Amino acid sequence: MQFFGGSEISPSPPVPTATANNAHMMYIFNRNGVCLLYREWNRPLHTLNAQQDHKLMFGLLFSLKSLTAKMDPINAEKGNLGIPQLPGQGCSFHSFRTNTYKLSFMETPSGIKFILITNPRTGDLRETLKYIYNLYVEYVAKNALYTPGTLIRCELFNTALDQYVRSIA
Amino acid sequence: MIGAGKIKQYSNILEKPLSKGKQEVSLSAFAFLFSELVQYNQTQVDNISELERRLEDAGYAVGARVLELLCHRDKGNRRETRLLGILSFVHSTVWKVLFGKVADSLEKGTEHEDEYMISEKDLLVNKFISVPKDMGTFNCGAFVAGIVRGVLDGAGFPAVVTAHFVPMEGLQRPRTTILIKFAEEVLQREARLG
Amino acid sequence: MAPAAPRSGEAIFSSVDRVNAELFTLTYGAIVRQLLNDLEEVEEVNKQLDQMGYNIGIRLIDEFLAKSNVSRCVDFKETADMIAKVGFKMFLGVTASVTKWDADGSCCSIVLEENPLVDFVELPDTCQGLYYCNILSGVIRGALEMVAMKTEVTWIRDMLRGDDAYELQVKLLSQLPEEYPYKDDE
Repeated sequence: MQFFGGSEISPSPPVPTATANNAHMMYIFNRNGVCLLYREWNRPLHTLNAQQDHKLMFGLLFSLKSLTAKMDPINAEKGNLGIPQLPGQGCSFHSFRTNTYKLSFMETPSGIKFILITNPRTGDLRETLKYIYNLYVEYVAKNALYTPGTLIRCELFNTALDQYVRSIA
Repeated sequence: MIGAGKIKQYSNILEKPLSKGKQEVSLSAFAFLFSELVQYNQTQVDNISELERRLEDAGYAVGARVLELLCHRDKGNRRETRLLGILSFVHSTVWKVLFGKVADSLEKGTEHEDEYMISEKDLLVNKFISVPKDMGTFNCGAFVAGIVRGVLDGAGFPAVVTAHFVPMEGLQRPRTTILIKFAEEVLQREARLG
Repeated sequence: MAPAAPRSGEAIFSSVDRVNAELFTLTYGAIVRQLLNDLEEVEEVNKQLDQMGYNIGIRLIDEFLAKSNVSRCVDFKETADMIAKVGFKMFLGVTASVTKWDADGSCCSIVLEENPLVDFVELPDTCQGLYYCNILSGVIRGALEMVAMKTEVTWIRDMLRGDDAYELQVKLLSQLPEEYPYKDDE
């Protein structure tokens, strides 16, 4: 099967964790808060313009991360609320669920944030996000025609992402 | 062999035994280096054809060195004098050394006597590349075209070499064809040799 | 779910796609030659090579993190070890060692036992001020900056200049905390 233009991505994609789930949207931010990619598969409701929407999403994650680390009852490395943390410091949340959607989140030590919004019944998507990070490495980071920090316009990545996300949906 | 085990100091590079070419680096290391070659050259040009020309120049330098190395390693130092001989040398020996495999195909152009094509389904330098729409027909294979031109030129077969995407039925990605158009003198010599 | 343990440089290198080092070495040589033509001044070439290395470093860090399963880089000592043992191995197939730690653990040397960039290279007299491998120091600086460590990387020994090894000094200047990137809330 030639899904990814003949390239092998290791590790291979994790087995889907949920049945009949629905991916709604995906965001990728870099460490400077630039939204490198926004994809939407199923989003009936738009209330903000794209820029406000991305900023709000980034702000939500930023604050949530800092709050969850502050409330950590186990790890001593938590810092004060509002005082910036080093990337990778303190604990980190990986998902939250509301009655209408689930947000899965992964941040790499290099500060890239992957966010996938799905149906609330979706299972653990951490391996899924890791796999998407691998796709990013293959088709964005190693694409000679991609300039870091700019909007991702890489066809190979978009196709591979689309196929993969649909396969888990 | 330099690069394996202890490093020795050589006062003169000629005393250093030539490596046998068995060392490897990760494909990623090459991909990142190649990316930077492209990114740097993008800052030096105003248009796509100029960018292709500069990548071709860089490739030419690589091709010229590869020919030297291979001739040296092949103890006989035998030089190819015939057109088909040099083409198959590029298509198999050079490809194998640089890309770890023989090229997918070598064909003669159907419309022009002086044209030959080496094609590759998944050319190493295009493996991770998506060409943005605003770059039109730009092909990173220009670097490989330069390598081919460097080898051919060094061996006495001057040619114009270009890289093109060719869509393939049933495949998601186009293959890359390296188009070789030999100089007139090459064909005349070939005709004389009979 | 416990995080997967970091993988060794050897394990990664043997599992990834590889290419003949000559393609890599000759391509690098072509880059240096292009810069010497474009820039003329050797000092400018050194600067440009460092910049190109930096640009590579900020991309390459993600391949390093994704393939090695390293989930955090907070401690500089640990990170320097990772670069030497995993980083050099997984990309270049060579091993490097970390030595000469200073008392407060913010400065060390990375010594290369092999260096695939320099095969076939001899510096001509006109290029004596050239740091041929300057791209490597840039890569380390760029990669570390992406994990929030601002460093200064300098060559201590260079075999192309007659030394007995390749040695890079890596000095941690500061660790940059993550800041909220937007100025105001419109």
